[in-house]
Amino acid sequence: MDVKIKQIGAGDPELVIICCREVTEEVREIAAFVRSREGSLSGSRDEKQYEVPVSELYYIESVDGKTFLYTKEQVYETSYRIYELESLLRSKHFLRVSKSMLLNLMKIRSIQPALNGRLSALLQSGEEVIISRSYVKDLKSALKGE
Amino acid sequence: MNLKQFLIRKLMLFFTLSTLITVAMYVLGTVFDPKASFGYEGFLSPLIYAGACVIPSLVTWSKRELKPRELLLRELLQFLLTEAVVLGLAFRSDVIDTSRSAVVLGIAGSVLVIYLLVFLISWAANSAEAREADRELQNFQRLHGVELCVPDNTAQEN
Repeated sequence: MDVKIKQIGAGDPELVIICCREVTEEVREIAAFVRSREGSLSGSRDEKQYEVPVSELYYIESVDGKTFLYTKEQVYETSYRIYELESLLRSKHFLRVSKSMLLNLMKIRSIQPALNGRLSALLQSGEEVIISRSYVKDLKSALKGE
Repeated sequence: MNLKQFLIRKLMLFFTLSTLITVAMYVLGTVFDPKASFGYEGFLSPLIYAGACVIPSLVTWSKRELKPRELLLRELLQFLLTEAVVLGLAFRSDVIDTSRSAVVLGIAGSVLVIYLLVFLISWAANSAEAREADRELQNFQRLHGVELCVPDNTAQEN
């Protein structure tokens, strides 16, 4: 099977298409692998439950003992604790950047200097979040793949 | 930032201030009182002023992560307190002629200049760190981008 990767614009939805003559066991395995790479988290908004794809999350924040999942346009509350999500999402490019925040490294547009020796992350959504001084070392290690 | 990191940063600030205050004293002394002479105790003045100027910077300490606006307000408070401390020390000093408004303005102005210089030095170091982290980020995203493809880009309601 040949593999092609096509780069698309920032606003286009990302999609994996498998072109096959027949849906064989091998094709199912590939599809299952792709889905397993993604995963989702349960969250609630307006008293409704949602499954939020992990890859859509920009960051996760704990505020007053509650944990919130932030996508580009929505905020969902989840029953997970931030430390639980930290270990759950470690392999999904999420990193703790302050005591109360996990950040999706794939959703950062750029890293910029901020006041008082801190760094700030400009997200693809245009939002800016602070990377605490205490976590800069972890960020550098994660980016270097250490 | 934990307390240890915060105090290390304040120690670095102390040494930066000592250097800049020495330069400011040279410039102000040359302009306003070029014939003055000092004993060895004169070497302690920049250290005393730098130590006194570090104390107001403690207002920027917080256990939780401050928001940019909160930090900006605390930085402003720090600056005003620094001006008050330095002018307070100057008015108590027997060596500095605070009856001349030009001297007082010179001291107040030099506090502002030093404050801005310290800010710029810190910002430059921080910018270099941010640029390096940004480069690493771009490499990281290039390497791992393929792994995060999304088959369905909307949250599914249960």
